[in-house]
Amino acid sequence: MSEEHPSHLQLSYQPSLPMRNGKTFMWLFLSTEIMFFSALIGTYIVLRFGASAWPKPHQVHLVEWIGAFNTFVLIVSSLTIVLAMEFAQKNKPVATRRAILATLLLGCVFLGVKGFEYKAKFAHGIFPQKPHSRMYERPDVYYKQALEMRLRLKVSGEDDTDAKSAVDADDTVTKTDPAKDAAADQGQEDAAATGKTVQQEMYDFLKNSDLSDKDRKRLKEDFDFVVDAVKSRGTTDEAALAATMLAVSEKIMPTHQGDSDEHHVGLNDAFGDLKLPVVIPGGNMWASTYFLLTGFHALHVIVGLIVFAILLPIKFGPHNYGVIENIGLYWHFVDLVWIFLFPLLYLF
Amino acid sequence: MPDPSDSKSTEAADHDHGGFGKYYAVFVALCVLTSCSFMTYFPFWEEHFSDHVGWAFMMAVSCTKASLVILFFMHLKYEANWKYVLTIPAAMMSIFLVLMLVPDVGMRRDKYSEQRKVRAAVAVEEADNHEQPHDHGGK
Repeated sequence: MSEEHPSHLQLSYQPSLPMRNGKTFMWLFLSTEIMFFSALIGTYIVLRFGASAWPKPHQVHLVEWIGAFNTFVLIVSSLTIVLAMEFAQKNKPVATRRAILATLLLGCVFLGVKGFEYKAKFAHGIFPQKPHSRMYERPDVYYKQALEMRLRLKVSGEDDTDAKSAVDADDTVTKTDPAKDAAADQGQEDAAATGKTVQQEMYDFLKNSDLSDKDRKRLKEDFDFVVDAVKSRGTTDEAALAATMLAVSEKIMPTHQGDSDEHHVGLNDAFGDLKLPVVIPGGNMWASTYFLLTGFHALHVIVGLIVFAILLPIKFGPHNYGVIENIGLYWHFVDLVWIFLFPLLYLF
Repeated sequence: MPDPSDSKSTEAADHDHGGFGKYYAVFVALCVLTSCSFMTYFPFWEEHFSDHVGWAFMMAVSCTKASLVILFFMHLKYEANWKYVLTIPAAMMSIFLVLMLVPDVGMRRDKYSEQRKVRAAVAVEEADNHEQPHDHGGK
């Protein structure tokens, strides 16, 4: 009697959460994604506020309104995918397809704008790492050396890989003190000889360009200033060198926003082939974090777009709207990440 | 005893909470909030508020936007209690991850030696203040 089971208690085994398995797994995946992106964003915040120097957005050619436009594009695409799900539930396959297509196109617009932004960075020598990166942290003797190297190479027409080995070789020479003066003299003669040729090339370029007379005159003076600064004998006064090199960098790529009515054009902007190095304190760390964060986000966008392209030919209705709900959850998450990235990267 | 068809019926009921009007309203709110954070970009903001106020404001706006997207577009507002099982541990892990970075990364410069400080990528105005030359062959 005592071992008899109570007959009124009926236990039932529930094998899963009360929802579709696809949705369960999408949410599980998203919870790992939350941790992934919060680690990346958290690292960015910690690095950014722990850094002694961090570039202003305009120093690294970030255009705020372009970022805002991309935010708008992603928000609209979030709306279209949620509408696609609603249409599918209401058994409107044509409207569903149109909404998915709109989301796909908006995602492409986002990536296109991102690509345009990346191109602008690359054009200004902002890369996540050397040898392509032309950013220097400090206006010191190494920066001066890099400028001299670049001006010399500009004439000899060697490519960038040779430039790197040449710079490395030069480093070893100048680090030993007795050889330093001799090397400096040699470098000066070289710069004097080649500088003239670069100057000639610059003058020819300015003559043939469609710049205004005022700009042409200013750029010519700027360029002469840069060449003179590079040619000048090395000073032991570090502060004086830093001041000169900062002024040089300012002429190559102006970091202040134009307070005058005209857009201030630097030497690198006017004469794209020059590709002179510039001083941006904290620029290399900025580039690493920027390209990592936006790159991972762009990868997620690409994955979303591939799925949208696959879904496009399928006829959706109330029986299979769950597929759109799943990819919609993913797409909203991609939008969510951008909601945080936009102010952090563009406005902070 | 739960009926196997229950899950379907609750799921269908979940989505009745959505509706086009609500989605459009959320969309408009998101656009307005984006333009709010974009306001900090204009000169009048810099004149009236400090950087810190701007950052706090932007983060508050971003969190509001994120909540709107999660609650309405991702339907979390209408989901059953399983949502807490997935979101709360993930959120705690995220906060933990970030806090773990602070001593190693955020405070990494607190115990730099003088020489390390001189060689570090410092702000230009700070670099100008350093009197000692830094190119001594790394002794």
